[in-house]
Amino acid sequence: MDQFVLLLPVLPLASALLTQLFSTSMDRRVSRISVTGGVLTLLLAVFLLILMLSGYPVAQHQVGDSWGSLMFDPLAILMSAVIAGISLLVRIYSVRYMAEENGYGRFFVLLDLMSSSLIIMVAAGDLITLLISWHLIGVLLYFLLGHDTRSRPAYRYGFWTFITYRFGDLPLVLAAALLFHTYNTWSLPGIFEAIAANPGKETFFGFAVVEVAGALVALSAFARSAQFLLHTWLPYTMEGPTPVSALMHAGIVNAGGILINRFAPLYVYTDSILHWVFIVGLITALIGSVLMLSQNDVKKALGYSTMGQMGFMIMECGVGAFSLAIFHLIAHGLFKGTLFLSAGSVINQARDDDGVPKDELYRFIVERRPTKRRQPWLIMAVITLAIPALALLFSHLAIAPDLFEKQGAIILLFFGWVTGAQLLFATYHMESQNPWRLLAMIVVSFIVIVIGYTLISHTFDMFLYPDPAFAHQLYVAAGIDFDWFVIFAILTSLVIVAGWLRTYWSDRRHHSNEMAGHWWRNFYALISREFHVADVYSSASHFTLALSARINVWLRWG
Amino acid sequence: MDWQLLLIGFFLPLFPLSFVFNAVLERMPNAWARALVLLIWPQIGVFLIAADIGHLPEWLQYWGLASAGLYAFRMLAMREVNLWIGFLATSSWSLLWIPAFDGMPLLELQVFALGFGLPLAIMAVTAGEIANRFGAAYTGLYGGLAVATPRLTGVLVVSLFAAIATPIFPAFFAVLHTLVLSQPLPAVWLVTIWGTWSWGAARLLQGLIVGPADLPYPPDLGKGMTWVMSLLLAGLAILGLMYIGSLT
Repeated sequence: MDQFVLLLPVLPLASALLTQLFSTSMDRRVSRISVTGGVLTLLLAVFLLILMLSGYPVAQHQVGDSWGSLMFDPLAILMSAVIAGISLLVRIYSVRYMAEENGYGRFFVLLDLMSSSLIIMVAAGDLITLLISWHLIGVLLYFLLGHDTRSRPAYRYGFWTFITYRFGDLPLVLAAALLFHTYNTWSLPGIFEAIAANPGKETFFGFAVVEVAGALVALSAFARSAQFLLHTWLPYTMEGPTPVSALMHAGIVNAGGILINRFAPLYVYTDSILHWVFIVGLITALIGSVLMLSQNDVKKALGYSTMGQMGFMIMECGVGAFSLAIFHLIAHGLFKGTLFLSAGSVINQARDDDGVPKDELYRFIVERRPTKRRQPWLIMAVITLAIPALALLFSHLAIAPDLFEKQGAIILLFFGWVTGAQLLFATYHMESQNPWRLLAMIVVSFIVIVIGYTLISHTFDMFLYPDPAFAHQLYVAAGIDFDWFVIFAILTSLVIVAGWLRTYWSDRRHHSNEMAGHWWRNFYALISREFHVADVYSSASHFTLALSARINVWLRWG
Repeated sequence: MDWQLLLIGFFLPLFPLSFVFNAVLERMPNAWARALVLLIWPQIGVFLIAADIGHLPEWLQYWGLASAGLYAFRMLAMREVNLWIGFLATSSWSLLWIPAFDGMPLLELQVFALGFGLPLAIMAVTAGEIANRFGAAYTGLYGGLAVATPRLTGVLVVSLFAAIATPIFPAFFAVLHTLVLSQPLPAVWLVTIWGTWSWGAARLLQGLIVGPADLPYPPDLGKGMTWVMSLLLAGLAILGLMYIGSLT
């Protein structure tokens, strides 16, 4: 029964073929073929997920001699179901949304092909199949983003995506060649078995194979998931059709996290790669969030929000919480897909009436009018700092008593604590008829979210990495020296608490600091130019093209 | 031996012998003649190299890599489509030196040469059709081909992606195979060339197919011709899937 996994990418592929064949004769009705193909794919994916949950063993099914294999394992089946679901929603949405556009049939053909490629990518059981699907996703996305061939901006920004993806594919290609060179097989389970048997195997210049291959795979994941310095394409791809934005932000951009999870059996034997993954993810999360807050365009803000979320996802991999990254990318995919698909109608409605009630929340957030009444600051400070910490600790200890043996889990709890405390801190000045009721509601909401998140992430961990020893090994691979860990934790806490204290005191004094104002204006100028990253790339690109033209002139075009 | 070497350098073009191939291609009287040259030229090269590989110095494969890099880089600023095709042909064929030195069987080399040559030949035919309609096949001059001539654009796009080694076409497996045979630093050079092809291809497409088109639209590619080209490209894709050579 599990062999039906081979049928998963075939269904959308067949749908693409039929849609192309009948696109002229059926006109707009041709979308029915695509939607039907999507429904069948989703049904099959759900059926396979039920099989997996009912205890079917992990298997690899092959159609070719050395490639063309698909995995029947938790990661492949779970992600296939998610992709099938999201791409079906996008197709249904597109039926009417794209009705006035040229190339209606072509759009559905491309959606079907993308759906097939994504399923192959998450289920690939060998490196060649993985490379093919990884590469095709970039090409198909280029054409989906540039669906409106009249629009030069759509193609220009599609081009940014395409080039980032293509150059980002290359480290994965090198990793594949290196792994094949070393272990003489393309099969992923075969490679992972060989690595487990001899993890210290060295390659050129005395580097360990797992370290080099792990770094190359991570680089490809960074490009696909818009990590800092490889992110410029993401916020600018809004010229493409909205369903494509939804598919991209809900599915395609998550591929980095999926790739790192697929190579988890390699990463458990690495020493330092996951630390770099953590650092890159952290920087991306911070910069993405800062840039998101500085945007005045809703869709661009959503783009930078995705960048920040992708940073968190990669950071979770970097601390060893691989299954949490999968949960995060699914949750993010669902809410971001919803935001994109509803953005158009929200903007449309807001033109008549923004529908925002002029209540306490509006006065506090939009009009920035804080309350003049103040609660005793000591009680508020205790609530702000203690409640999130206690909620997180108790909920996690109830599920995983060995929690404090994992540095990665502590880092994530720390982030949770900062988020919770920041939430309470931010509402401290909010005007309310009953401030204690407001506070109680925030605390209850926070606890519900924490418990839900904890339970779901634990379930994901049990499903994706049922072997507790392996899951623990991932945390160990991501860990650092204990003394350094403590020093970093204390320093980070001090910086955050100092930031809060500074905000608190400047707020109490009610006067602006000239120096700080100047500093903020410069910082704002920097983020309004998005740290000049795109400018640097643009200059480098112009220089390269000018040099190419100059050489052609020297060589007389021969 | 020197004459043989020189001859192979002409047919699997090594810089500066590559000037000959590009000059020949440019001077062909029509698109069909160019397509024929693109099909036959590398086949002669692989036939000659397979016969004499034992006598050739190994550093030639690095010269091949350097030539491939130079022409890939030069493609970026090239706007005349036929010259662009010649540059990509030079860049891709000069990579065939690496599998040839590794002792790849002649049949496999011929399939890989065909994998690069056939899409380029189809591109040459479409470039001829474009020149017939617009006076020149030149990027950045008119644009809007996708709106004006969708069938012609479709054939051009698919053949272009087949030529730059996109899966599942044979050129993809040829590049992958060459990569597996390469040492670490040449492998990095090789993937950079591969990425540069994509950059050049995207620039070519943007200058030709994107944007609004002026009315009246020129006639599109005939349905019969479209079917023939599509079947050739489909056959090429199937060949890529069926025959990946000794990449096992």
